[in-house]
Amino acid sequence: MIKQLLRQEWQKALRAPGYYKNLVVSIFLGIFLLYFSAIFLLLGLVLPKILGEVLPSHSPIEVFYGLMLYICIAGLSMRFLMQQLNTLNLPPYQILPIKRSSLVNYLLLKPLFNPVNYMTLLFVIPFSVRLVVSGDISEWQAAALIVAFVFIIWFDSLSASLLKRKFGASSWGILIVVASLAAIASLEYLNVFSFFDISRQLFGFLLSQPYGLLVLLLPVIGVFVLNKQFFAQNYYPEKFNRKVSEKVSSSGDFSFMSRFGQIGELIALELKLILRHKRTKSTLYSSIIFLAYGLLLYPNKTYQDNLSFLFFVAMFVTGTLMVTNGQWIISWDGCHFDCLMTKKIDTRTYIHANYTLLIASNIISFVLTTPYFLFGKQIVFYHIAAFLYNMGVNVIVYLLMAFLNTKRLELSQGSAMNFQGMSYKNFFVVLLVIVFPMVFIAVFSIFKLSEVAVIILGALGLFGLIFHKPLLGICESVFLQRKYALCDGFRKKE
Amino acid sequence: MIEVIGLQKIYNGVAVLNIPSMVIPQGESFGLVGNNGAGKTTFFRLILDLIEASLGEVKINGEKIARRDDWKAFVGSFLDESFLIDFLTPEEFFSFTAKVYGRSEGDLAAFYETMREFFNDEILGGKKLIRDFSKGNQKKVGIAAALIGDPHILVLDEPFTALDPSSQIRLKRMLNELQASKNMTMLISSHDLSHVTEVCKRIVVLNKGVAVKDIFTDQDTLKELEEYFAV
Repeated sequence: MIKQLLRQEWQKALRAPGYYKNLVVSIFLGIFLLYFSAIFLLLGLVLPKILGEVLPSHSPIEVFYGLMLYICIAGLSMRFLMQQLNTLNLPPYQILPIKRSSLVNYLLLKPLFNPVNYMTLLFVIPFSVRLVVSGDISEWQAAALIVAFVFIIWFDSLSASLLKRKFGASSWGILIVVASLAAIASLEYLNVFSFFDISRQLFGFLLSQPYGLLVLLLPVIGVFVLNKQFFAQNYYPEKFNRKVSEKVSSSGDFSFMSRFGQIGELIALELKLILRHKRTKSTLYSSIIFLAYGLLLYPNKTYQDNLSFLFFVAMFVTGTLMVTNGQWIISWDGCHFDCLMTKKIDTRTYIHANYTLLIASNIISFVLTTPYFLFGKQIVFYHIAAFLYNMGVNVIVYLLMAFLNTKRLELSQGSAMNFQGMSYKNFFVVLLVIVFPMVFIAVFSIFKLSEVAVIILGALGLFGLIFHKPLLGICESVFLQRKYALCDGFRKKE
Repeated sequence: MIEVIGLQKIYNGVAVLNIPSMVIPQGESFGLVGNNGAGKTTFFRLILDLIEASLGEVKINGEKIARRDDWKAFVGSFLDESFLIDFLTPEEFFSFTAKVYGRSEGDLAAFYETMREFFNDEILGGKKLIRDFSKGNQKKVGIAAALIGDPHILVLDEPFTALDPSSQIRLKRMLNELQASKNMTMLISSHDLSHVTEVCKRIVVLNKGVAVKDIFTDQDTLKELEEYFAV
């Protein structure tokens, strides 16, 4: 039975209208994955040496035992934040004579078949092989270590889905995860309570005992049973959807926007859209983290001479809201696009509203990032140039590219690691928006003229702002050319 | 007045709609019937400029509609749920639509009054979002929103399906009143032959994209249609 369900899930993926377009996205992701796999393998090989240098008082394997609890907790929080819940559209199957337990088992066990979950083994295996070769541990211990990691992965992924199903992917959950990680780390750092020592003794003991692995299996079975119990109580979909249907609209009264006429009305609509959907809302929150991106890079001496990179950071930071939310403009109207196209809204007004929204989001991010001015005159210069460039040039690029993306954005899905609604065109945007100015400055810096390049980019932005009316006219005619393709694409649900 | 001139929609070499010529004068109630895949929704989407005609064109009041905005001021439409903004409450959606058509708060209050019977206290006053409504109530919201701007032309795709029997009767009454009092042109498609003959004075039967019958309703029309569709 489970085999049948897996097969239908596979067919669902293959027959989704966006599959072939998504292929390009998948290839990009695949390259990404290969890169990380290579890094993990390498890490595993050099890890004994690193661990020996960091804590010379312990042997590498002891340090590793000490870290295992941390790896377990980190894996759990990563999965809580990133892992998509394995959902099966239950109702069509519930009415068929399929055993309830098969459906539940399928939902629970499917993530364990996902190879991505086993990425950590990529460094555990070379690490243990290396230690066996150098004679630090026996073959048995190495095997036990690897099996223990498989158990940790099972434990993490099962408990992450349980927590997610129980508490939902609310922003509170994220906060709690971050807070508890911070608490554990500070307890360790202040020498109040050492998880390291506990982990070292615990795993050191268990993995040297013949039956230690069985003890490790117990928590896995425990979580599995808890999961089953959860489903026993919450089998009916209405229980899952309870939170959704009870939710009433409270967020957002933007009636003050109506004084700006139709454009104001449309912007108020987009703001409600952002605040009333999980995906856009969590992206909005995550952009707060992105705003702090500069804090990591500006104080770093190695980047201070790399001017094209500095400009990239300035562009990213001063345009955070546009980078995170702007990529979905137009396509997030996909679910009600026919409404916007048949009501009395001029095409020009619609384009103008989207333009204004992007401009406003840039102004907000720019104001929020003014504290970076404390890093010195150079940063002020870069930020202003990047801001102008974003406002004048990138806003138009984002608009034009949005007309090319004919996939509607499914707004009710979560945001982390969600590539629904993306196509290779989103990568083009990234290329145009990021790579062009960087290359431009890099070329000028060969002749020691990078400051001039930054001024030129800023001036380009200023021109874009001054001539925004004819530019929007171009956008309008492109939109009218693309209108039917957009209508057609947005009608297809994924 | 809606004029259709040599209109064709071709997908993959197959003409799914082919209407050489058709005129729908102002004030006519025009019913469109046909089995699934006959081209009813395609025809409506072409009239609303949501898909591109392969050949020919549609004119409203003598003006072409393709890639234009002017016609939107006096055409109200509801085809499916993508005509709803489902993350709003009905009030928010109506107020958005009213403002788009330049209607005041007072106009909106008067409009709610005319809709009171049709809504049957199930739509307004709650804090529920449209996406949480049942299909039938979503349909009521969509039909009402199509009427907010006092359209001269109303386009409705399958307005009776998903409505409960009382609401179907109320809708029929409302449409007949609107037609009589405002001389509104109505384009209505339906699978329910008796409903459509009660509301529409002219019935067109589509089959595989071609208008095979174009008749004015009288007491024999329902029988004629039932005979045509009998298998």
